[in-house]
Amino acid sequence: MSIVWILLNIALAGVVLNVLFSKSKIVQKYVSLLVFAGLTYFSFIMYSQVGEHFDFPLQIAGQSIGFTITWLNYYFGIMITGISLLTVIFSLKYMEGKDGSTNYYTVLTLKTFGMLGVIFSSDLITFFVFWEIMSWSTFALMSTGGKEAPKSAFKYFVFAITASMILMAGVVLSYSLFGSFDFTVIHGKIGTLSLSMTGFLLSIFIVSFSVESAVFPVHSWLPDGYSNTFTTFTAYLSGISTRIGIYGIILFLFGIFGMQTIDKLSIIGKINFRYIFGVFAALTMVVPTFTALYQHDAKKLIAWHSVGQGGYMLIGLASGSALGIAGGMFHVLNHMAYVVLIVFAIASVEHRTGTTNLNKLGGLIKKMPVSYLALLFGIIGLAGLPPMNGFVSKWFIYRALILGGYPFLAIAAVIGTLGTILSVYKLIHNMFLGQLPERYNNVKEVGFSMQLPMWILMIVVLGLGIFPGVAMGLIAKIQISLGLAAVPYSLHGIQTASGQLNMMVVGALFMGGLLVAWIIYLLGSRRKHISQYNNYAAGNFLDKNVAYNFNYEFYAAMEHVIDPYRKKIIQRTEQGIAGLTDAVSEYVRRIYTGMINTYGIYVITAFIVTIIILKELI
Amino acid sequence: MNVVLWIIFLPIILFVIGTFMLGYSRKFIARIERRYGPPIQQVFYDIFKLMNKKTNISHGWMHDFAILMLLGGTLLTMYFIPVPGFSYFAQYGDVLVIMYVLLIPALGMALGVGETANPNGSIGISRALMMLAGYDIPFFLTFIGMAMLNNTTSMLDLIHLQQAGGIATWGIITNPILGVAALIALQGMLGEKPFEVMVAPHEIATGPMTEMGGKYLGIMMIQHAIGVVIELTIYINLFLGGAVNWFEYIVKLFVLFTLLLSVNAVFGRFRTDDAVRFMWKIPLPLAIIGVLFIIF
Repeated sequence: MSIVWILLNIALAGVVLNVLFSKSKIVQKYVSLLVFAGLTYFSFIMYSQVGEHFDFPLQIAGQSIGFTITWLNYYFGIMITGISLLTVIFSLKYMEGKDGSTNYYTVLTLKTFGMLGVIFSSDLITFFVFWEIMSWSTFALMSTGGKEAPKSAFKYFVFAITASMILMAGVVLSYSLFGSFDFTVIHGKIGTLSLSMTGFLLSIFIVSFSVESAVFPVHSWLPDGYSNTFTTFTAYLSGISTRIGIYGIILFLFGIFGMQTIDKLSIIGKINFRYIFGVFAALTMVVPTFTALYQHDAKKLIAWHSVGQGGYMLIGLASGSALGIAGGMFHVLNHMAYVVLIVFAIASVEHRTGTTNLNKLGGLIKKMPVSYLALLFGIIGLAGLPPMNGFVSKWFIYRALILGGYPFLAIAAVIGTLGTILSVYKLIHNMFLGQLPERYNNVKEVGFSMQLPMWILMIVVLGLGIFPGVAMGLIAKIQISLGLAAVPYSLHGIQTASGQLNMMVVGALFMGGLLVAWIIYLLGSRRKHISQYNNYAAGNFLDKNVAYNFNYEFYAAMEHVIDPYRKKIIQRTEQGIAGLTDAVSEYVRRIYTGMINTYGIYVITAFIVTIIILKELI
Repeated sequence: MNVVLWIIFLPIILFVIGTFMLGYSRKFIARIERRYGPPIQQVFYDIFKLMNKKTNISHGWMHDFAILMLLGGTLLTMYFIPVPGFSYFAQYGDVLVIMYVLLIPALGMALGVGETANPNGSIGISRALMMLAGYDIPFFLTFIGMAMLNNTTSMLDLIHLQQAGGIATWGIITNPILGVAALIALQGMLGEKPFEVMVAPHEIATGPMTEMGGKYLGIMMIQHAIGVVIELTIYINLFLGGAVNWFEYIVKLFVLFTLLLSVNAVFGRFRTDDAVRFMWKIPLPLAIIGVLFIIF
């Protein structure tokens, strides 16, 4: 029996059981834990069945539909189930005593079911159906928790419906062009299309997936939607949910259309489809990253970064070289590990203090060292500094862009990274460093069940940084299965003729450096710990009533520099888009007059047009 | 064996050069201001004194660890930079690696200063990070230009290509615009005036160093000495053809440092936003023009 079938059935059974036991939170908890443990186990052992195909006992338009296992969807499958399991483990304690959590595990399981269906589907119909299940459950997920949640979820809903309609158009168009829904059949016939048609079809699919993966002009649903829901959902959504859009882009760009077809889509010289895609990706990296600087809420700050980090994945894919594509795919995994780690740390702080407002926290390092360490590992990964995993995938991307001859896309990636360093330092400083407010004196570290997922992710973040070869092996297999060149990787990095990267050397030298520094440190006399109020204050005296902290408007000068650009370019563009949408909607609205006569005319016109088209076809 | 000896002695050699350069800078500035100035070995005395202090005040474990991260990260960076006679580790990491490991000490210090819970320190870090966004963008772009021109991101390759063709193939000669842009960015990277916003003793009580004393400050000074040499070496390797022997290397270091110090001596301090704006208005467009020259 195919494991895909087992996997989807377990997920579906999970949904049903959760609905049945919606009265009992305890049962829901352990059922979900069991379901996700099962899912994780089966998705990991699925590598033995790569290449197998599973047909649904059902035919649509005379065609069999079903699922298939490839290296690409194996890669995404283990990410989805793995992170879902960690989220559930974390939620066990986190969700205790929270209001409105009766649907929590139900929507989580349903969402996982939808995502697994999307990634394993082998034809457009299955893909579309599961895509819809996934979008709807994302909506359900976002609308739980908090007063603001339903409002921001509605924003997503509008975007997702539009994207689904565009995707639907793509599905119908593909069927009329190729007479088949099957991915492999379409891939075989793609060369027969005219160039303009190829471009049109590809654009339809890419635009539709761009909404889900929050590419720059259509990203505005994400930050509110992700930050207003439960913090664990923020982790889950930014970690994997957004990346299903990236999966769609990888599948359609390389799996269905293929590199050769895409490279034919050129306007002039270097300005081809990939380049335009890359420019959008660059905007996605730079603009949201600098918007994150302005945020005063930890969740919102990270939500903006999860938009920005998507830009790195896309720009890697857009670079078109083996290294860049590998970097883009690797970054999906890396981003998932560190962003979930960061949000878990934020959730721990929220669990203990009840707030994620960056202006109200501070000094928690003394009370919550494990959460601090988790956040530290996460932000080093997010900022892309060695020896954590984010560095490796970003290094691939920079190098691919520089040597591929895209200097301005490369500098956009660097600008994004610098903006990231700025805002993540603000994040860790305002939460854990600086003065500890008196009201948090009794705060304790979170319990074991919340620490465990953080420890696991810390190991993953550091482990993939030192041993990127573990994931690169899988990525190389994906690249070969998609007909691309594979990166010559080694366990500790890559090894090409034009240079190599060895993260083990970096890690070992860093350890050595720390050791030497420690020896020098020990040469001095012993340290003496003092209280935070025993501090330099220019001759004044500090006590618990003196607020002696710098966290409000942390980057005021930077905001001063960026503001003009932001106001001139970004806000005007956004207003322009909003105005255009308004005007178009206004015209569309006029179609619905509310009078039965007009609708009658529409029906008759539609009938006549259909007949004319049918006559043409027959 | 040779490699092991280099691993042991390279930090010591660079530390000695660095302390003399810092001593030289104090003397140089003093002479411009018509003072006598401290002796050139004063920095040694300072470090020796600080390391022997009886009281060492710590605000917590991150404060302690930050100091290790600061020096450890700097030593890590140092090994990846090729110097005359030793480039063993340069093959395992290119300029991209160097640029990012260079940020580890900065991050370490930022975290430690954060734990000292002094707003002066936090303001200093906030300023340092804003300056980072200011100077790193033009500096990176100049590096991207050089890498594209030579089709390699390895510092070792860049040095070999420049040395093979003599002075005419030095980065500063082949791409003067990029060279100048990187030079201005380097001034910011070293935190010399007019970009000295991070320390700013008169405004924020030396910023990050406010709560540092005793061996903590001593280790920071050791790191500073090595760090100055590292940052200058990056520029020398990218634009001044590296160095074949240690004499040439030290001469280049001192000439470049003197040039930057002369600018430092005659300027006041920019306000932070003006400093960032300056970086984005002068070196960045220069770097963009330089890269456009390379493309077309």
